[in-house]
Amino acid sequence: MIGVISYLVFFATVASILSIAVMGLNLQWGNTGLFNGGVVAFFGAGAYGTLILGGTPQAGQLGGFGLPYLLALLGGMVCAGLVAWIVGLLTIRLRHDYLAIATFGVAVAFETVMRNTDALGGAQGIRGFERPLRETLGNGFTYNLAFFAFVLILLIATYLFLERLIQSPFGRLLRAIREDETAAQSLGKSPSLVRLTSFVAGSVIMGLAGGLYATFYAFISPQDVLPILTFQIWAMLIVGGAGNNKGAVMGTFLIWAAWTASGWALSRFAPLEVQLYTGSIQFVLIGFVIVGMLLWRPQGLFPENLVVSQSARPNK
Amino acid sequence: MNGLKTSALALGLAAGFASLGTDAAAQDCTTKIGAVLPTSVDWGKPIAATAQYAVDIANETGGVAGCQIEMVLRDTQVDPKVGVDAAKALVDLDGVQLLLGAVSSGVSMPILTSVTVPAGVMQMSCCSSSTAFTRLAEEGKTNGLFYRTFATSGVQAAVGAMVARDAGYKSVAVFYKNDDWGQDIGGLVADDLKALGIDVTASIAINDGQASFRAEVTEALKGNPEAIYMALYPKEGTQVVREWISLGGTQNMIAANALKSDEFRDNVGMQFLGNFTGTDTASPRTESADAFVAAYTAKFDGPPNGPGLANSYDATMIALMAMHAAGKDAKGADIAAKISSITDPNGTPVTADAAGFTLAKEVLDGGGTVSYQGATGNVQFDKNGDVSAPAVTWTFSEGGIEEQKYISLTEVNDFMTSLN
Repeated sequence: MIGVISYLVFFATVASILSIAVMGLNLQWGNTGLFNGGVVAFFGAGAYGTLILGGTPQAGQLGGFGLPYLLALLGGMVCAGLVAWIVGLLTIRLRHDYLAIATFGVAVAFETVMRNTDALGGAQGIRGFERPLRETLGNGFTYNLAFFAFVLILLIATYLFLERLIQSPFGRLLRAIREDETAAQSLGKSPSLVRLTSFVAGSVIMGLAGGLYATFYAFISPQDVLPILTFQIWAMLIVGGAGNNKGAVMGTFLIWAAWTASGWALSRFAPLEVQLYTGSIQFVLIGFVIVGMLLWRPQGLFPENLVVSQSARPNK
Repeated sequence: MNGLKTSALALGLAAGFASLGTDAAAQDCTTKIGAVLPTSVDWGKPIAATAQYAVDIANETGGVAGCQIEMVLRDTQVDPKVGVDAAKALVDLDGVQLLLGAVSSGVSMPILTSVTVPAGVMQMSCCSSSTAFTRLAEEGKTNGLFYRTFATSGVQAAVGAMVARDAGYKSVAVFYKNDDWGQDIGGLVADDLKALGIDVTASIAINDGQASFRAEVTEALKGNPEAIYMALYPKEGTQVVREWISLGGTQNMIAANALKSDEFRDNVGMQFLGNFTGTDTASPRTESADAFVAAYTAKFDGPPNGPGLANSYDATMIALMAMHAAGKDAKGADIAAKISSITDPNGTPVTADAAGFTLAKEVLDGGGTVSYQGATGNVQFDKNGDVSAPAVTWTFSEGGIEEQKYISLTEVNDFMTSLN
């Protein structure tokens, strides 16, 4: 029984971390209409930033500054924000598929730079990070439970922040730009500045997710920032429902559950001869879920709540 | 085909147990072990099949510590998140105390730091070669729970440098695959060559999946080296060699074991491989290694020529023997502590087959120790869980792959000491 609980806590931690990243993407795509095809670059910048700032020194590597954990996590978010700001300045005039291609390129470049720079860990990645409060909480179940609570608090905080943001006048502005940029401009708004703000804010949230991810594994390597992660995060948002933060979180839990449970179920119930092919079967199953979802409910499980402006609503 | 054979074997076993009523009664319990391997990748499947094969052999002899072994196999998809989740599920839900895997160091490492070490589960990898594990063990952070049967890249790099020295090459260009294994071995071989006074004209990273490596090859040609060293896999190795030779590069080639494949020889062409020398960690001069090759060939309709197969077999066998020595319901740390009784050079030599497994169980039950004569050699772990191994050099011939020279464990160790 304790085993099941321990696994569920572990699962929920990973899913919660990924949900934070999905909510960051939701701000960019769901609310502002920015097609970010390079989620891993910002996720990775947060992860590498956190480990470099908070880790112990390693021979021949940059970092090991051993900063207090929260400061390191914040530093990781700043790294993600900086990368996003530079990328944003360069690409923010690009629309839709052009932006997607440019950001995808940025993500591939990010992975290549990490793989080839020995000072940033190279292909072996960065290790030697001490998980915070490990001495006090030990290494086992208690630690995972405490870390889950920490991640959950951040998940709720991110959720509340984003909900407030999209209900604010700024949120309406984001949607206005998504729907019709020229109309927004005619009202005296500056679309490129707003798009840049949304892009950086969403990327900082992805950086937070990356920092938590790297903390949880106490390790990060270029293998963690392959394009597959961008694909997974997009699948989660599309299934959950773009434009809805509840949907983003639910979509993440569902897709990640499908991803892990299908592997578990196949390893348990598939006949021996099929065992060696479970990996390939799993890819087919996940593909089915996503394609089925797009055919059956393209708006996602939780479609966006389209609200009329608050001042136009009758008083309650 | 393999599946059919496995079923046939299972049926045969079932029939065997049915006829030996008392034995069957003693087999009521089942112990689960976990395996996290990249089965969705072409070269990962045979590694998993070989591990399952070793488990089948152990079960054939009556199991481990009186119980049948069930290997629960999970796919890593070469994705660290998926691999760690699979490992965590195996440890928490299936309660395994022994985990085999993973292949990529980038997957094995987070499993070690976030799953097996916190849970006190023993982890045995067939194929992770990164030197980061050695450093982690030196810092005392593996709690002695991590072992691997893949000799660190140091052995092969040293032997590669030895080949260059013996052939009298004065300058060498190094090509390495741009992943953790390639970067590791590429860096080590360059250091070793320099230590021998051989000029390293270039060290060039090869990223896989490129349509052409002309730019990389041209870069290496500039230094006009007398020979090239390759730490590459067959796919990109074939491309690099083709372009290298077509641009007029030397045919003096040295390569690590990843190119030990018939596919590479056929695709490059034998006429260009006359001065090719490969290195590998060696099979010992015992019957057990030959027995493994023969048994494997009979079971899988071909010799074990893919990467990591012999390592996967030995990883599974050694771990299962240690599990037997640790007794029923042993914890991961108990199993890990028994590894030294399996690879004791002064112990009773046992072969890597069913007869050897039975003998090992008898000796271990009597409180003795055994010296496992495995498919990758007379395996011995150092205090960091790393293996050192004898080495061979090999060449391609019309008939296949031929061994050239055997370098004993002592020679390897002496040579490596002389380099430092």
